[in-house]
Amino acid sequence: MDCEKVRDRFSSLWEKELAPSEEKIVREHLSSCPGCQKELERFEKTMRWLHSVGEVEVPDGFLPELYKKMEGRKGATPGGKARGRWFRFPLSLKLPVQAVAMVAIVFLVLYLTKMMPMEMFRLKETQPTSSPLPVEKKSEQVLAQKEMGKERRVMETPPETPRPKEAEPAQAPAAAEGKEEGALVAQMKEEAKKVEAPPQKTEIMAYQIEPKDAERARVPSPEQGKVQKGLVAKEKSVLASKPPQEIILRISDREKVIFQLQELVKQFGGEIVRAEDNMLLASLPTASISEFEKELGELSASAKADKAIAQKQAVGGLRAAPGVKREEVDERNRESARRVSDENRTVVRILLIQE
Amino acid sequence: MKTSPKIQKEVIECCKAGDEKAFAEIVLHSQKKVFNIAYRMLGNMEEAKDLAQEVFLSVFESIKDLKEEIKFDAWLTQITLNHCRNRWKYLKRRQYFNSESLDDPIETEDGNMPRVIYDPSDNPETLYEKKMIQQFIQKGLLKLKEDQRELLVLRDLQGFSYEEMAVLLGLPEGTIKSKLHRARMDLKEVLERSAH
Repeated sequence: MDCEKVRDRFSSLWEKELAPSEEKIVREHLSSCPGCQKELERFEKTMRWLHSVGEVEVPDGFLPELYKKMEGRKGATPGGKARGRWFRFPLSLKLPVQAVAMVAIVFLVLYLTKMMPMEMFRLKETQPTSSPLPVEKKSEQVLAQKEMGKERRVMETPPETPRPKEAEPAQAPAAAEGKEEGALVAQMKEEAKKVEAPPQKTEIMAYQIEPKDAERARVPSPEQGKVQKGLVAKEKSVLASKPPQEIILRISDREKVIFQLQELVKQFGGEIVRAEDNMLLASLPTASISEFEKELGELSASAKADKAIAQKQAVGGLRAAPGVKREEVDERNRESARRVSDENRTVVRILLIQE
Repeated sequence: MKTSPKIQKEVIECCKAGDEKAFAEIVLHSQKKVFNIAYRMLGNMEEAKDLAQEVFLSVFESIKDLKEEIKFDAWLTQITLNHCRNRWKYLKRRQYFNSESLDDPIETEDGNMPRVIYDPSDNPETLYEKKMIQQFIQKGLLKLKEDQRELLVLRDLQGFSYEEMAVLLGLPEGTIKSKLHRARMDLKEVLERSAH
């Protein structure tokens, strides 16, 4: 038997579990092998020391501390106890309580789900008016391009961009009072002479100068949203994206001129979008605008058609008279301009001034 | 096994019914064994006390699930070993034992004592030397693998039979014997290494 096998039997030798014959062989090896003998001595020493390790006494106050811990655990789980108590209640008590709770939950869910679509609707309503900020940036870019002499590009600004200011000219004449009309005509004449630059430029300038108006357009009230909604269907397909042109007609017989105007518009393949006291809003094919203007010039009582390009800046003075009615009209006009989708059509605003 | 006579079946049944006196009797009967296993496994008096109390709390909460009262001692030892394993893992994660070595002063019931010089030829005569040796062995045990320490504590310190150990550890007796021998030889090596 080699040393390793002998050393593997040290535990069995220590516990006297070896068969007599096997023990004899191990003992013979040990007597002839000093290494294994020394190893066995160390092993037996370790075992003696290990077995000499006595038991340690339990610290004082073990049981009272244990009771304290038990009390602590009982106090620490009141929720668990309450839950346990609930299960012990009779079914006759539990069922009605659960039924009431269920009904309350159902009502709560219904209330919440009914509220949600309303909120979504309001959000949708506010979305279109939240675009002026990027539009403003675009306008600034356009202005810069203009300054570089590239007028053509300015004309090509995206038609679908909703510009709150663009609709302003449409609203102003409609709400203008008789006294203001004369002032407006004079002002427009002057501007037509002075301002040689294309209308878009002044429009942009006006937009930049009047941030309050921009603010108003950006954050409409819920009532405004409702008004817009009612008007949309009627004017949907007609309006053009470009800022409406404005033509002032001096007339003597109002009804006759209006009739003639309607005929003329139909003749040019257009239609009257809106007719108010002293204002007509017509949608015409862009190609036939110049022809239409000539015809209008002949129609005018003074044989003189004052043409002015509608600008926010130009009509700014007319917006001086605030009022609920006026604001509604503003909104309608703004909406009209915003709804524009057809690039081949132009909106023409015809102002009728009684002579 | 060196333990005291088995606890009476009636006491266990009373404890199952929630009798706190019966529970106290069980604690007084078994606390020494539980505490000693815990102390030898963890090497710290405070941890061992806390663990032993946790063991008895577990016993109180789950004794109603004990089917055979006659197996109470084995059941209690099993709970103690499980708690020891969990606590050992917990302390090891927090590197509780990393700073300690056999050269460190050893914590005893009488306070800290200097380490003993391991010399197989010496013969511990005095009480002081005996205590030192006990603590030296304790430190050596903590240097072993957890399963090896379990075997040495159960067999050489607590006096469990191979049969009982086979039931407790779920291993064949032959495996337990060979593993135990390996653990004893490793302890010898650890003690020799620490002496040089």
